[in-house]
Amino acid sequence: MGQSRKAVIVAGNRTPFVKAFGEYLKLDTIALGCAAVRGLLKNTALATKEVDAIVWGGVILPGLAPNVGREIALDLKLPVEAEAMTVTRACASGLQAVTSAVAAVERGDADVVIAGGSDSTSNAEIKLPQKLVHAMAPVAFGKAGPGDALSIMGQLFPLRDVMPSMPKIAERSTGQVMGEAAEEMARRNEISREAQDLFAFRSHQRAANAIASGRFDDEVTKVETSSGNTVSNDDLVRPHTTVEKLAKLRPVYAKDGSLTAGNSSPLTDGAAAVLIMSEEKAKALGYTPLASIRSWSYVGVDPADQLLIGPAMAMPKALDRAGLELKDMDLVDIHEAFAAQVLSVTKALGSQAFAKNRLGKEKAVGEIPEDRLNVHGGSIALGHPFAATGARMVTTMARELAASDKQFALLGICAAGGLGAAAILEKA
Amino acid sequence: MSDLLMELSQNSTAKSVIKTLGLPVPMPPLLERDKNPSEIRCLANRDIALHSVGESVAFRSIVETLGAAGAKLFCDSTVAESAVVTEVSEAYGQKPGSLTLDPEQQKHRFHGAVLDLTSITELSDIESLYSFFRGVVRSFRSSGRAVIVSRPPDEAKSAIQRAVISAIDGFIRSLSKELGRNGTTANWIQLEEGAEELIAGPLRFLLSARSAYVTAQPLRVSSQQGARQFTFRQPLEGKVALVTGAARGIGAATVKRLAQEGAKVICVDRPQDDQITSRLAREVDGEVCLVDVTSEDAALVLEKHILDRHGGLDILVQNAGITRDKTLGRMKPEIWQQVIDVNLAAVVAITERLVENAMKDNGRVICLSSIAGISGNPGQTNYAASKAAVIGLVRAWSGEHIDRKITFNAIAPGFIETRLTDAMPVPVREVGRRLNNLKQGGQPEDVAAAITFFAKPESMGMNGQVLRVCGGSLVGA
Repeated sequence: MGQSRKAVIVAGNRTPFVKAFGEYLKLDTIALGCAAVRGLLKNTALATKEVDAIVWGGVILPGLAPNVGREIALDLKLPVEAEAMTVTRACASGLQAVTSAVAAVERGDADVVIAGGSDSTSNAEIKLPQKLVHAMAPVAFGKAGPGDALSIMGQLFPLRDVMPSMPKIAERSTGQVMGEAAEEMARRNEISREAQDLFAFRSHQRAANAIASGRFDDEVTKVETSSGNTVSNDDLVRPHTTVEKLAKLRPVYAKDGSLTAGNSSPLTDGAAAVLIMSEEKAKALGYTPLASIRSWSYVGVDPADQLLIGPAMAMPKALDRAGLELKDMDLVDIHEAFAAQVLSVTKALGSQAFAKNRLGKEKAVGEIPEDRLNVHGGSIALGHPFAATGARMVTTMARELAASDKQFALLGICAAGGLGAAAILEKA
Repeated sequence: MSDLLMELSQNSTAKSVIKTLGLPVPMPPLLERDKNPSEIRCLANRDIALHSVGESVAFRSIVETLGAAGAKLFCDSTVAESAVVTEVSEAYGQKPGSLTLDPEQQKHRFHGAVLDLTSITELSDIESLYSFFRGVVRSFRSSGRAVIVSRPPDEAKSAIQRAVISAIDGFIRSLSKELGRNGTTANWIQLEEGAEELIAGPLRFLLSARSAYVTAQPLRVSSQQGARQFTFRQPLEGKVALVTGAARGIGAATVKRLAQEGAKVICVDRPQDDQITSRLAREVDGEVCLVDVTSEDAALVLEKHILDRHGGLDILVQNAGITRDKTLGRMKPEIWQQVIDVNLAAVVAITERLVENAMKDNGRVICLSSIAGISGNPGQTNYAASKAAVIGLVRAWSGEHIDRKITFNAIAPGFIETRLTDAMPVPVREVGRRLNNLKQGGQPEDVAAAITFFAKPESMGMNGQVLRVCGGSLVGA
């Protein structure tokens, strides 16, 4: 069956990325999502009646309104016919939203889809222990008698079992905190502290340059907070940091470890949105597409092994599906959960031993030249509002392709649960 | 089936009392067992000491197997810097740790140790048995694993080479006896020329917690079944297995294991055991076929069940068996005959018919023999005769179906805690339990794990073998 329809990326937009528990404290993930979508609609002057659907990514979902995409549509007063869903694939949720939207358009389900993602770590819900929930059920869901009250009291001991626990980024299956997993990867792949700090330094430099040169101006819109402040800039980028300053930070996850707050991505609040259309619709509405998605792939690896190595499997797979090689890629954008994780992935891609034993390939996938990798910085400098990151990367890379004579960009994202994601963008 | 000494040995107060009083009571170690379905990275986070002597052609396969299984290797600098170890450690992001063979300096504790002797030829090569294992012998964690890999003695090109390889036999048996007290096993893989890549299955099995009660045993791996073709996760998915004597004990444990690895299991037992057989089948989403294996039409009934519902059989486990113990002078003819009928005649009739008419290519037949069939037991002339005959059957059949790639292997359990052994008089049972290197009886699960190993595609290199699951029993060794 030949492909009759092609989806294109028309535009992208995001909020400034802000340190968690900062300026966005009062904005939950829905409000942040609204800000990004509102900016997208404004920048593109798209009539809201054209929007067929929203596909939204979210990692920390609000328990009482988990379909964030629909809430955004309703809050923004989009036509009620604009249907919505919310997808979740840990840190690859934003990319998942984009590829789901592309699939829907190419299948003919929709012509205009807004895809994106948002997360507010500041508004993570503190989970009540299941034991407390079960004990309180008669009160919450039925008529509790005096006998129930006694029984509830009886069930609440020992108290430590019913105290709410703080959320943390730990693997459910292994209990390992993500930073510990990255620390293990640094050790196993022999990624030095110096290499990590240098990588983090470059991320900040490049992000700072992009901001200073106005490169992000057309993809970041201001956000008004409830207190009346206007947030117009990413506030985590440190233009003045140096390798020396980074070298002074103390390891966070292990005493003799190499991961620090400086070479890891920070907890961040923010949102990003991408406008996807069928090629014909874009033409009919008078838009010039930025790029299309040539291929994508999602993979799983054993989370008990190297938790964040997934992109090293997903990226070659996306290349195979596109019939392309790493050397054909003009740009490579890898989500920077940790410098150690990016460097482990690039090391694996450059290794013939890895290719032979893990991918069943004769030759190494290839080295990624420094001037093609994360050219405008990444999650370490900009921050990482989990589900927004994928849409941010798609936006920045699509615009980079459109603004230059470059043709292909390869995206790679690692995600909790041992997931890996990749996509190849092609200039439209 | 409680084992008092086992319980005492797990009770710290009792243990210290016995130790303080200096009582001559053996303290059996608690064996590590793996009840989960098999995993690709079955040796994840296990520290394995590795050494290889000379230019071994099997070394690549050994290192690749350990790397893919997630093991962390410890080796001396020569081995660590070899091209294979460098490549595999890079691929899996698992750099080898350093290994010293000076017992005084040895600080690290190992889950396992593998010595590759596939290229030994000279008398002087014997020395590596001493130096490698002396370096690690005191450093095994409890339920550790020692494995030696060599060529089979009968493939030796000279008398000297045969002597050197044969030395492993005595060495491994003695090592097993010395290591048994902390639950550590020692086994020997005899790798035929050309079968190098098929070492993955047996090496993983012998290094894992699935081989808890297998020790002092040789396993021979050949390439007669062709090139490697298997996966490690849900390896029995889409396969149909039939287990006789499925209702309880080893049979029931085997049914559960096979189902856990993905097989659809047909549980066969006598009509009077309908209830427990059906309950088991429901539990594992299997099927029931109630038939007395000694009845004339048993083979026909089973064949019909298989062909009507599945179109073919992949795995046949001949487990049904009985004991009717009497010394020969007191043994009535019907008792002799009953045992021969169930343990031997039924095995012959059912296996021959099913292999001929129902078994698919790459099939697996596993027959339960017994250590009694190897060593004999007073009061078991009938049982021992039938179980020895099964070994003969398996050896003969194994040569007859190579073109269809069907393998035939036997398992010879030692003292296993089942209804059969529970019925023994207490003194006999107590002696039987302790007369092995691990100082305890095995569990039905231990035998089931070995049967399941032979049922998996990864055992394709093994055919016509008799694997003893006996804890290194002193009887018949």
